[in-house]
Amino acid sequence: MKDELGTHEDLPEPPPAPADSEQLSQAFGELRELLLSGERRRLAELERRLDEMGITPEELAERLPDAVALRTTQDKQLARSLAPTFREAFGESVQRNPQQIAHAIFPILGPAIRKAIAETMAGFVNTLNRAIENSLSVRGLKWRIEAWRTGVPYAQIVIKHALVYRVEQVYLIHRETSLPLAHVTAEDLETQDADLISGMLTAIRDFVQDSFGSSDHGDGGLRTFSVGERTVLVEQGPKALLAAVVNGQHPPALVERLQATLEMIHLHFGIPLADFEGDAEPFEATKPLLEECLEKVLTTDRPSTRGSAPRVAWVVVGAAVILMLALWTRSSIRWNRATNALENEPGIVLIEEEHGFLGGSIRGLRDPTATDPSLLLTEAGVDTFKIQANWEPYLSFDEPVVVERARRALLAPQTVEFELAGDTLRVSGSATYDWASGATEFLEKIPGVTHLDFSRADLTIPADLLTLQSRIEERRILFDVGSAALVPPAMDLIAEIATLYLDLISIGSEKGYQVSLELIGRTDTTGSNETNRVLSQNRANRVLTVLESRGAPRNMLAELGIGTSDPIESDDPEEEAALNRSVSLRVTVTYGIGGEGN
Amino acid sequence: MIQKKICMVGVFGTGKTSLVQRFVHSMFTDKYHSTVGVKIDRKQVLLDGETVNLVLWDLAGREESEEIPTSYFRGSAGIFYVIDGTRRETFDQIFAIRESVQGTIGVVPSLVALNKKDLVDEWRLGQGDYNALMDADLHAIGTSAKSGEGVENAFLWIANATVNK
Repeated sequence: MKDELGTHEDLPEPPPAPADSEQLSQAFGELRELLLSGERRRLAELERRLDEMGITPEELAERLPDAVALRTTQDKQLARSLAPTFREAFGESVQRNPQQIAHAIFPILGPAIRKAIAETMAGFVNTLNRAIENSLSVRGLKWRIEAWRTGVPYAQIVIKHALVYRVEQVYLIHRETSLPLAHVTAEDLETQDADLISGMLTAIRDFVQDSFGSSDHGDGGLRTFSVGERTVLVEQGPKALLAAVVNGQHPPALVERLQATLEMIHLHFGIPLADFEGDAEPFEATKPLLEECLEKVLTTDRPSTRGSAPRVAWVVVGAAVILMLALWTRSSIRWNRATNALENEPGIVLIEEEHGFLGGSIRGLRDPTATDPSLLLTEAGVDTFKIQANWEPYLSFDEPVVVERARRALLAPQTVEFELAGDTLRVSGSATYDWASGATEFLEKIPGVTHLDFSRADLTIPADLLTLQSRIEERRILFDVGSAALVPPAMDLIAEIATLYLDLISIGSEKGYQVSLELIGRTDTTGSNETNRVLSQNRANRVLTVLESRGAPRNMLAELGIGTSDPIESDDPEEEAALNRSVSLRVTVTYGIGGEGN
Repeated sequence: MIQKKICMVGVFGTGKTSLVQRFVHSMFTDKYHSTVGVKIDRKQVLLDGETVNLVLWDLAGREESEEIPTSYFRGSAGIFYVIDGTRRETFDQIFAIRESVQGTIGVVPSLVALNKKDLVDEWRLGQGDYNALMDADLHAIGTSAKSGEGVENAFLWIANATVNK
């Protein structure tokens, strides 16, 4: 509206039209010719020269190189002005004749690519080195903890600490309204509310200017302020501000760069800036310029921090290696001890063994009689839970195994010792006749033994039979002087003897023993020998009759009257006489038919 | 997207912050918070199908004698004056404040919010006052940050005025 008004107002007014006739005009022309002919000629000449001031192409061609050179030394305006044209021209050229461009840039393309690859690789190796260094160092551990504690990804923590500086955000703010025109944020950072930040930045700037009374124009305003680790750099232009949020220590060059960017924006966006009415759309185009300001500079190699951390890391690694070696050595020693024990153990054949760091595996043969291999392993200090053992059964003919097998098969008593000589098993120590007999019969069922040799063995009657025998033999039936009559106590005694004897017969026959009882009648020394022999015979007969009547088999009884021929002796003559008026008992136990007796 | 800076102006305790709170966050609190310096908030509104981003500068209320820091007004597309209808002096002072604003940034779309409308019994303004505002070319809207009455309406009016000036 204003523009329209302006153009109307600015329209020139038409010149007043002459009122006189053509004649008058001619006369006036003549007069002018007379009075001003010299001046008119000079004027025409001047006009001609002025026309020539408009530069011809020829003149331009001559002056252009100088003009370009001159302007280039003054400022960068020429380059900036030409840049869009060149861009377009180059784009056009590439589109029309790509082949020619490709040929032209070929000599620089190869080295450029090589350089780019080399730099990428160097960067990668550097990153890898640092990653290894960081993950091994105490510092790395600290960062891990920090990442875990704050919930920020580890990579960002590393960047934060390795950062020299980083431009995190750049705001382009309209100076007059304090409204944001454009805003860029470094990648992987959260975008913040540009409106509020722009507003607050301006408010802070205004506040500072009001408070300190510094000039609004020029360099008097707020240039930087710090918030924690961040610094906000504010560059002021006539129509816009550029604010950069920087993390870390920025170099002075960054400020210059911001200034240059702001100048560039003023140059190219002067009109939109002046006409800004709240629509930030035209300033989208400034984003590439702002993004160029998002620099990130990380530490390269910092010698000061390099010294101690890797040393600590190496000590830790060294200690870990030594510990592993020690554990491995101990484990190996135990394993060897165990396998040696297994190899030397009768009845066990080790076929295959493999020792690993966390355990091992064993395969072999094992006689069922042999010692349990896991016992041997445990004794050697090997954890049997970590071992895979596979034992196949087999029959061993190792002497200890055969002996043990025989001992188990024959149910040998503890008192017996064995010794293997070839295929003959020699028995020593004491054993009963019945066990020896059973062992011989069982022999064929024991692999590895074909003969039993009892020549060194001490064979005996079983203990229970011997007890019964002595209990019977310690009894003696006494008689009155010159009498063979059995008094009532004697009858009871004979009944006891009969019971014991029947027990003996019964138990003995179960185990294959034969028993017999001999009754020996005696008399005291009074009377004749013949009388005494008959009397002693009668006494023995009487006892035998009673025993027989009590169930003792007749064929296992024998009576004998010996008179005074083999007297029982005593220090007291009277007692000796009483002891000899008696019938004594003698038990015989034999094994089998024709076996040895006692 | 169009952005507009709006300044909230008025004597202390008239309810500038409460109006912004109600408008932006749909909240109201009875507690009085004295604003220090300036608070900036933002609200997007839809006008004739176009989104307008209102950047609300909530300026600290001033005592009668104090001068308003005029630099905050710069670049404002509109001024939102706030009067406390229960305190006459807040009405009286609005004209002086307006002069100060216009002295700094010239004439921009302006609105007067007659706030605390919910306190009917304590209302101290009458028809004569409303006429005075009209004579001064100030559009007035009754508002209550507490009940929310008129708040949305007032902000939309100023937004509309700044866009279609």
